[in-house]
Amino acid sequence: MKESSINGLVLRTASLLLLMLAAGAAASAQTSSAQLSINLTVQSSISLIFKDNPNVGNVGFCPLTNAGTNNVGLDLGSASFPGSFHSSACVDYTHVGASFYQVSSAFDVLVTKSNSSSPSYRLAAQISTAPPASVVWLVNNVTLNSAGFTTLDTADAFGSPVTKTLQVQVRNNVPGQILQETITFLATAN
Amino acid sequence: MLAMTALLFAAPAFAQNPTATGVINATLINKNGISLVFDTDPSGVTLGAAGTSAATLNFGTISAFGPLAPGVTRPSVSATNYIVRTVFDVQVIQGGLTSTTYTLSAQLATALPTGFSFKIDGVTLVNGPSNIQTNAVYNVDVSHNLDLTVSTAAPGAGGPAVGTPQSTVINFQASPN
Repeated sequence: MKESSINGLVLRTASLLLLMLAAGAAASAQTSSAQLSINLTVQSSISLIFKDNPNVGNVGFCPLTNAGTNNVGLDLGSASFPGSFHSSACVDYTHVGASFYQVSSAFDVLVTKSNSSSPSYRLAAQISTAPPASVVWLVNNVTLNSAGFTTLDTADAFGSPVTKTLQVQVRNNVPGQILQETITFLATAN
Repeated sequence: MLAMTALLFAAPAFAQNPTATGVINATLINKNGISLVFDTDPSGVTLGAAGTSAATLNFGTISAFGPLAPGVTRPSVSATNYIVRTVFDVQVIQGGLTSTTYTLSAQLATALPTGFSFKIDGVTLVNGPSNIQTNAVYNVDVSHNLDLTVSTAAPGAGGPAVGTPQSTVINFQASPN
């Protein structure tokens, strides 16, 4: 075989090897890129939940149903004026004056904030329907009504439970009936 | 006599239609290819430019306690932060490769705004590539959870800016295994 032919063969073989190597390298390095753009807007927010008071179970501190949420139940049992009767062991029963009795129970309100520089919040409450005559619903001795929110506090601290006492005062001439209210609490950041 | 014979032989040749031939030397270089597109997941937010490799994902207005946009959930809220989540799909298509699976990686394209961190399928995103999935299958939508952890701190105290649109870009890369 002539030298020129041998050189040609070597050259072609080398070229083929280079092509194969190049092809292999290209295949292994092949990737795909993509871009996902994320958009959002953060908003300040606050939350309000009801919690059992640490004294729950003692007189004046009945347990809430569904405690730890913003929609709880509070059963005050049955009560009447004569004989200071009350079926619940956890309510605080007292006579108020000569003709009213009162049952009450305390619970905690916890308001937390997020992404807010507000230093405090206002707390207000409202009952859902006008009570019968001679029945009064109060929170911490502040009478509630169904016409609008009644301010309870003007500068409560976020993140710290605030103990509130729900009171129901009933005159001794109120006929026997179920007294029921949905009490809405409203926290507003200052 | 000789001229007459030549004319007789030539006549049939002129009677046929003339023909011509040609060839095309065609070449197609079939190259290996791989592409990645984002698709809207049925349980996630609707992507902008879905089906492309440059999509947008809008969480809308987020907060720790308020309502969220459709397709956005809030798996957790703690005293220090909260997480909002959505789901998106990635589909990688390949041609000409012997690879049967791919590795998906992602990284933040820019520094994150204050008070944010992102995770995809539990993997925290940083400014370098992080593997999200190492054996993903081609040609199908693969859903991924995108978690945004937001500090509950107030603006200026380590928390994010409030009330102003914010954006982040995440780069993805699919590599054949």
